[in-house]
Amino acid sequence: MHELSIASSVVDSVLEFIDTHEVKKVLTVRLAVGELSYVETEQLRFCYSAITQETAMENSTLEIESVAAVVVCPQCDYRGSPKYWEDALSAAPIPTLECPHCHSTVEPVQGHDCAIKTIQFIACADEMPGNRRKQ
Amino acid sequence: MIQTIEASPDEIYDIELEHSLLEANAKLAKENRALLDRHGIAAIDVMGAIGSGKTTLIGSLVGRLKDRLGIAVLNGDATTSTDADLIAGQNVPVVQIATVNGCHLDANLVGKALRKIDLAKLKLIFIENIGNLICPAEFPLGSKARVVVVSVTEGQYMVRKHPHMFFGADVVVINKIDLASAMEVSVADLIADVHKLKPGIKVIPTSCKNGAGLDELTSSLLAV
Repeated sequence: MHELSIASSVVDSVLEFIDTHEVKKVLTVRLAVGELSYVETEQLRFCYSAITQETAMENSTLEIESVAAVVVCPQCDYRGSPKYWEDALSAAPIPTLECPHCHSTVEPVQGHDCAIKTIQFIACADEMPGNRRKQ
Repeated sequence: MIQTIEASPDEIYDIELEHSLLEANAKLAKENRALLDRHGIAAIDVMGAIGSGKTTLIGSLVGRLKDRLGIAVLNGDATTSTDADLIAGQNVPVVQIATVNGCHLDANLVGKALRKIDLAKLKLIFIENIGNLICPAEFPLGSKARVVVVSVTEGQYMVRKHPHMFFGADVVVINKIDLASAMEVSVADLIADVHKLKPGIKVIPTSCKNGAGLDELTSSLLAV
């Protein structure tokens, strides 16, 4: 259940943002979750809705976008999607760190992080925050 | 009762944050690593499922190495100190890290534990992570190497069931191989599964019961 740690980290970060900005209500928090990170999105949503109660984030929507893995091979300079293990046990193929070209070990360069991308919120009345993009 | 706020469009803002949720831990892990490097200490993060034999394995390695170099052990455990007590019997410094309900160690807890011991006399620290083959993968601790322990008693498919755990590993131990035939589990197939996920990674079959593989594991860990 490290989803609770991740959800707490989301909430802490957003509440910190609220503390330093004129925010009336948070509408949506968008996350980017890497294919190689081990985050179970349904558990994450559950933890998020539980711990945002009675905060300025209550009833906000958590949108989760998946970020595809990109790997590079130090041996043959391959850069692209990982090789997948098609007939492993799971319903979906499992990404591996085997180079699809030369079979040596690749390094993941994308898809191993979990990050907050954007926050959508209603600003307090009469506030025109600088460097913010109006929707 | 849920109250609804009607937003007029000009009041809604969309801010790009690009804030990594794993970064705070990663930063503390780097600080731990810098502290360990300054003292010339290699830390080994030992991860694996509950009952995979992490404590016994660490105990065996400590027994082999403690007269040659300064060793300490950080024992992660949700509630009990049984593992820490076992290792402390070997007269090496032990810090128990009680995560209470936490399912993994994080760099902050390890940093706190490191401040509890005298680092001056140490060369090697084993960090026993919480018994869990999922969550610890996301949380580097500042160790020089990460070891994943899988035992044959967990069945034939433990590796492919938990692929993410092996991506960040430096050494994989297939433990309790003395029980392989009783369990009808193929050690060779477990090794092949690990190599399918991460080719070229060192995989060492061990038994703490008869000592198989422990010399090879000891020299592999000293070489990291």
